[in-house]
Amino acid sequence: MKIAVLIKQVPDHEALVRVKSEQELDIENRYVCSFFDEIAIEAALNIRKNHPESEITAISAGGKKAVDALRRAVALGIDQVEHLGDESLEMADNCYLAYVLAERLKAIQPDLIICGKQAGDDDFAATGPMVAEYLNIPHVSAVVSLGSDADANQVTLGREVEGEIWYLESNFPLLITAEKGLAEPHVPVVMRVMKAMRAQIPGIPLNELDLKDKKQQGRLRRLRYTVPPERADVAMMREPYPQNAAELIEHLKKNGVI
Amino acid sequence: MMCNEIWVIAEIRQGRLTRSTHQLLGAARKLADERNLQPAALLIGGEQVHAEELAQKIPLVLRIENSGLETYEAVRYAHALRQLIEKRGRPKVIMTAAGSSGVEFMPRVAMRCDSGYASYCVDLFWEGEEPACRRPVYGGKVYEELAISTVPAFFTVRPGVFPVPENLSETGRVETIPIDLPEDTGLRIIERKGISPGKKDLSEALCVVAGGRGMGTPENFKLLEKLAEVLDGAVGVSRAVVDAGWMPHDLQVGKSGKTVSPGLYIACGISGAIHHVLGMNTAKVVVAINKDPDALIFRNADYGLVGDALEVIPELIKAIKSKT
Ligand SMILES: Cc1cc2nc3c(=O)[nH]c(=O)nc-3n(C[C@H](O)[C@H](O)[C@H](O)COP(=O)(O)OP(=O)(O)OC[C@H]3O[C@@H](n4cnc5c(N)ncnc54)[C@H](O)[C@@H]3O)c2cc1C
Ligand SMILES: Nc1ncnc2c1ncn2[C@@H]1O[C@H](COP(=O)(O)O)[C@@H](O)[C@H]1O
Repeated sequence: MKIAVLIKQVPDHEALVRVKSEQELDIENRYVCSFFDEIAIEAALNIRKNHPESEITAISAGGKKAVDALRRAVALGIDQVEHLGDESLEMADNCYLAYVLAERLKAIQPDLIICGKQAGDDDFAATGPMVAEYLNIPHVSAVVSLGSDADANQVTLGREVEGEIWYLESNFPLLITAEKGLAEPHVPVVMRVMKAMRAQIPGIPLNELDLKDKKQQGRLRRLRYTVPPERADVAMMREPYPQNAAELIEHLKKNGVI
Repeated sequence: MMCNEIWVIAEIRQGRLTRSTHQLLGAARKLADERNLQPAALLIGGEQVHAEELAQKIPLVLRIENSGLETYEAVRYAHALRQLIEKRGRPKVIMTAAGSSGVEFMPRVAMRCDSGYASYCVDLFWEGEEPACRRPVYGGKVYEELAISTVPAFFTVRPGVFPVPENLSETGRVETIPIDLPEDTGLRIIERKGISPGKKDLSEALCVVAGGRGMGTPENFKLLEKLAEVLDGAVGVSRAVVDAGWMPHDLQVGKSGKTVSPGLYIACGISGAIHHVLGMNTAKVVVAINKDPDALIFRNADYGLVGDALEVIPELIKAIKSKT
């Protein structure tokens, strides 16, 4: 089976991100492979355990940061990686990025494409579904389980839909996005980390793709960044237990909360 | 081809229009009024009774009909919506709730229309003649405001961010629009089960009572369930509780769980790690109950109570009962 995993380098969860000006952010220099993308990588590796003949390719599109995500993929056990495009893609909007990825995927022809549920920077949750639409293949978002019965023809998978869990069966090709629970990312072994540091990361320039259908941007226009609204100072209950409970309910009633 | 409309895709759950749908009807009417557009509700699949209920709240209801739309599936929904757009022309805006289905099918349609899409919006407004949104990025550490320059503008909106409009009263009309669907999309549903049967839907609830590791044992979550019951709320949990195997992942609130925006969020025995806070900081009123007066959660709360949650919760239940 051929599997493609789409990954992105994003600021770490713990990194400080602040508004510098309306058009600019101050981002602490701590980048990692996006949380859900590592789950996607692990899910692909799990399939390969059952189907050792599987070929996995990890792709990351964008500027130089993408190389680091791909090194991480190598460290985790992926052998084929591709750095797609260049810095110009950082300005592109989500439709165009999905289009570029999809055009490359057309050449690879994977049976299964795995993305993260959403990227840790823009939190769009859009790339996967958009790639699937462009390739005209079905997709399922936020998948929490993949059947180990996956064979060359079909796969069963589970996902949460508003308080229910649905089990679906799908033919290939298929695209899924990885939700927490789909796989548990492992810590890479030192040997692989060393290998990843030395690895040549092949690049595919945009002019090798046939890109003329869509314009690069103009669908979304960023007006400004803003600071999240702040909560007023907390009001602490003063009464000792057990009166503090009644005091709290009093506050909530008085302010029409309950 | 364009049409001067704003579409809200209605959601039905357990046979009823969701609260988010009502919220979005209000938001769509306001946006439409500001630019002299026609607000319309879209019912994909759904029954005539729901169409009629919607018509009491909005002037136009477009009911997309095909027996293949009875159960939700992204590819079919995307097909249905695309055909409606072809038949009626491109509306200015299409919006729906950012639930697990909304964020799944909307980007597909946006891609097909080659138009702008923004997810998890917390506000919608006009920037000149362009529809625009505010949305959290970097896990909610900052917000961005985006205008969509292409038509239609696609938005998914976080449940709970708009108020439920109070007195929408209309005698709207219902148009039924038949569409075709592909026979087989390659996907088949083989089983559906409730993960937490009988529990309220976390993302829709007006009140969320959440418990963390400080609750001590899985059994103690029964207490939270009782509190949730008297407040007509849903139970949420922190990741520590899911990792310990005390409660299922579908109840997890936070960065790698659900994002909730209820009117009231009560955090019991939750330390307030950023990953948790990112999932609940758009709640209107936050109450924190924690043993540790220095717990981070108090910095993200409106009301704080320092104490043992296991002692305080029964008192809260008593106090609520005695006052109603
Ligand atoms: C990539 C990543 C993603 C994550 N995503 C999420 C997420 O989606 N959601 C999430 O919740 N976490 C998430 N986390 C984990 C998060 O960082 C915290 O570890 C987690 O939220 C802690 O859970 P907790 O507050 O229940 O437990 P703890 O941090 O152990 O806190 C327990 C609290 O309970 C208090 N306490 C103890 N006993 C009592 C008592 N009897 N009465 C009252 N208070 C008491 C303590 O003072 C303490 O503050 C994520 C972490 C990472 C690295
Ligand atoms: N530049 C990129 N290169 C490769 N994959 C990406 C890129 N951006 C997003 N993706 C994939 O799409 C998922 C969702 O991203 P987003 O739509 O930005 O939230 C990510 O988790 C990745 O799997």
